[in-house]
Amino acid sequence: MSLEMTAGPPPSRRVKLPPQLLGSWEAGMLVFMAFLYLAGVLINPAFFGTTDAISAVLRDTARFGVMAVGMTFVIVNRDLDLSVGSTLGLVAVSFSILFAPTHLNLDAGTAMLICIGLGLLVGLINGLLVAILRVPPFIATLTMLFIGRGVVLGLTGGKTISYEIKARDYGFFAFGETNALGFNNQILIFLVFAIAGAVLLAKTRIGYETYATGGNDQAAQYAGINTRWVRIRAFLLSSLCAAVAGLMNVAQDKGVTSQYGQGAELIVIAAVIVGGASIAGGRGRVLGACLGAALVVLIDKVLREGVPTTRVIDVGGVKMEVAAMAQLPPGAVPAFLGLLLLGAVLLEPVVVRGNVLGRLKAWLLRQEAPASHDSGGIAIVGVKTMGAASDARGVGLRGFRAFLHRRDAAAIILMVVLWAAGFWLRPDFWGSLDNSFNLLLAFTEIGLLSLGLTYVIANGDIDLSVGSVLALSGAVAAFTMKELGGDPATAVVLALAAGVACGLFNGWLTAKIGMPAFVATLGMFYIARGLAAWLVSGRQLSAFPETYNLLGRNLSVVLESFGIHATGTFAAVARAVSVQTLFLAVVAGIAAVVLGATSFGQKVYATGGNERAASYAGINTQRVRLLSLVFSSLCAAAAGVIYVAYYRSFNPAAGQLRELDAIASVIIGGGSIFGGYGTIIGSLAGAAVITLIRALLSLQIFMSDGSSFVMPQHWMNVFIGLILLAAVIGDIWLRQNNIVSEWKRRRQARAQARHDTRATGVAA
Amino acid sequence: MTTPIIAMRGIVKTFGAVQALRDVNLHLMPGEILGLVGDNSAGKSTLMKVLTGAYTRDGGDVLVNGEITHFKSPHESRDLGIEMIYQDFALCGNMDVGQNIFLGRWPKRFGLFVDRPKMYEEARAVLSRLKVDVNSVFQKVESLSGGRQQSVAIARAISFNPKVVIFDEPTANLSVMATERLLETMSELKRQGVAQIIISHRLTDIFEVGDRIMVLKRGENVGDRYIAHTTEREVLELIVSGTPETALTAEEAMKKAA
Repeated sequence: MSLEMTAGPPPSRRVKLPPQLLGSWEAGMLVFMAFLYLAGVLINPAFFGTTDAISAVLRDTARFGVMAVGMTFVIVNRDLDLSVGSTLGLVAVSFSILFAPTHLNLDAGTAMLICIGLGLLVGLINGLLVAILRVPPFIATLTMLFIGRGVVLGLTGGKTISYEIKARDYGFFAFGETNALGFNNQILIFLVFAIAGAVLLAKTRIGYETYATGGNDQAAQYAGINTRWVRIRAFLLSSLCAAVAGLMNVAQDKGVTSQYGQGAELIVIAAVIVGGASIAGGRGRVLGACLGAALVVLIDKVLREGVPTTRVIDVGGVKMEVAAMAQLPPGAVPAFLGLLLLGAVLLEPVVVRGNVLGRLKAWLLRQEAPASHDSGGIAIVGVKTMGAASDARGVGLRGFRAFLHRRDAAAIILMVVLWAAGFWLRPDFWGSLDNSFNLLLAFTEIGLLSLGLTYVIANGDIDLSVGSVLALSGAVAAFTMKELGGDPATAVVLALAAGVACGLFNGWLTAKIGMPAFVATLGMFYIARGLAAWLVSGRQLSAFPETYNLLGRNLSVVLESFGIHATGTFAAVARAVSVQTLFLAVVAGIAAVVLGATSFGQKVYATGGNERAASYAGINTQRVRLLSLVFSSLCAAAAGVIYVAYYRSFNPAAGQLRELDAIASVIIGGGSIFGGYGTIIGSLAGAAVITLIRALLSLQIFMSDGSSFVMPQHWMNVFIGLILLAAVIGDIWLRQNNIVSEWKRRRQARAQARHDTRATGVAA
Repeated sequence: MTTPIIAMRGIVKTFGAVQALRDVNLHLMPGEILGLVGDNSAGKSTLMKVLTGAYTRDGGDVLVNGEITHFKSPHESRDLGIEMIYQDFALCGNMDVGQNIFLGRWPKRFGLFVDRPKMYEEARAVLSRLKVDVNSVFQKVESLSGGRQQSVAIARAISFNPKVVIFDEPTANLSVMATERLLETMSELKRQGVAQIIISHRLTDIFEVGDRIMVLKRGENVGDRYIAHTTEREVLELIVSGTPETALTAEEAMKKAA
């Protein structure tokens, strides 16, 4: 009897299992998309009213959709791949170089295979960096983004490659054409990837392993899942998808520009998150991500196509109505997409878990508000990886040996060595006043950015938006003086205020809402640069009042403008020292004292070391993190003001890639990407190292045969990217896990064991 | 009869549909060591978090020295001399021993700067009062062993002369030697008049240093006994099959037994 009970009767009918491929979230998105498209038709019937528009939207969705399939695996794993856009560009450019008759002139099949291999290589590097070397995914893939972009620019030299005539002989390009059924073949490829990806993630062990790894990496490991391989696999898949998207792109356009894939990572990540995946990992579906891709591409199209308007113009006293398009300037679209990304990240934790709709309804009906589903904070915090684990090797040492055990020792030594190297390479020029002046100027911008970042990184956060905030502040200053006719003082105040606003937004999202800092500031990375381009309509502005430009001049010019003429040694010093250098010195001095000697500085380190412990100890950690992010943005804004004054003009590309330099400075200078460490002196030394590397790489080197060589700018950025990776890996493995002494210890233990066995052998 | 230093009356706490604490009472006399035991999800940690203000209670009163309090965060209860030592010690590994002992309360000079000489001086004094040998107050906490880290956490708790110290699973991840040392430390604190609450699974430890033991089950009081008048066996029975009917006060249980 009891046996029968436990065994149970065989099920007479199949139990209905919950759906895995689709859910209510996807259904809601379909409805929303239909509304959005209708709105597009109403606003701009000329474009959205035609069937061509649907097929154009679908065609563009296809490429982003394919990338979203791979990205879903990465995000479900609780990782992030920022390098997909640049992988797409790299593959498109490589294919073009391999295939184009003007370059290597291979056949299409070979070129395609090499490109897929290249894509997989990028994925493998990402995967190894993240899963084996434990570099946080956002920093590893962001660096890969910059490196890939640098390689693309270096390979193309910024030029277009085209091969329309040769392409006619190859079947490969049919992938980009419209087929007999009347739709583009790329849509077919997209469908194949979407279905294969959806089945893989929802129905197979590979997919289940992915969910387990993203949900709880440690539990998955205990259960015998090789989570490292699971994560590498996802990165491989993501890069493969990006490579396929790049091939789809060249198949369609039969040519390539260096701009391919720029900003694609934003659309793809936004698509996956809008599609219901969580940035905290463990949740997400491929079909949702595909629908998300369609939705984001649609929004992108609506923003780019513009709204038709009629403008009244006055021609010789006669008023005429002219049809025009109210369009966003190029570069402004990312501002909206950045906001969309942040909104998407907040959608699930705040709106759904916080039960905003239910509470709104209750508020409207004046009922008692229902409790939110999740009382204990937002589930997106806790993305922070691992804690530091260095030991106390330095305690009790004195003098130079104690110095060597400081975390910032490497940066200071490297700074001296690099300066000596410059002197050795070009003794005729390196030590001159001119060169020192230029070095100091280049140092100021990176140094200023690294000051704020030191606080943010010591707090355990990151600020990816410093370069963009620099651009926005510069744009505000330029706009105030040129378009609003404001005086220099107003321009400076408004520019700094813009920086503080960015910092408050970053801080609000990170500290109050609980969004991981790299997501919040990644959003700001796009938003601030988009706003900057929007403000100046994508143009370069120049010719500002000369009193403003004094902020970027050297002291002797400033003194002369006040009618003071310096003489002697003082004149020489005044020519080498500029206003910005003095400004940096003052700000750095204050920042160093505050971080090193006041209780606010201690609070910064405590928050970065163990936020929960700090908050139990009565520290308002939210306030500390918010203030640090505001300070970082303020420093970036000051750098932007100085940038405009120094160049006497503003270019929307100001400060591009500067976040790379600044983060590298702080890490080289002893900061840890996991928080809790970093000093101002170290960061300044790190900034000097980066400045010197850039200066050394741009030195004209004279060979013995009389020829000379200068490294192009694009390759230099690739090099700086590699240095950032090396710094982060060095920090994790040398400073924190101390593999050198671990290796020594093991070697000694082995030698001891060998000795012991030999001894016992002799004794026997 | 003296006023209890801590009295909790009729504490109620719910998380959504889960009722974590229903009508729980607790009292603690000055200088007394109370063991708080119970199965997993009995509500021990929740009760302590309500006491320190990490959670806000849904009902009932918390009295410190006979006065009703409404703590909103752990550092408010700390201001009244209630310290808690968390199971994971809640230390900042990147900071040194001295900085951790004064976490969030670093002594100031000129109202702005951290008074480092004073901080390390007092840290050393506290550690010697605890009779623990940490090599140097300049050592980073992450390089210390688990037992030493706990010593730092205890040093932090007693550095401001608390009246009550709460230990959350203090012996859970300690070696036998470290456990012995910890129990000595507890007795030492008792001699200095500090009342203590110990949350633990290990009855042996509580029976070694405790004065009284209180058992919770599924968020309810199921028993309260003096260590001197009970056995580990009786306490185990209460943990496994206690009911609100067995929840006599320690005095009642003592009289009943006698």
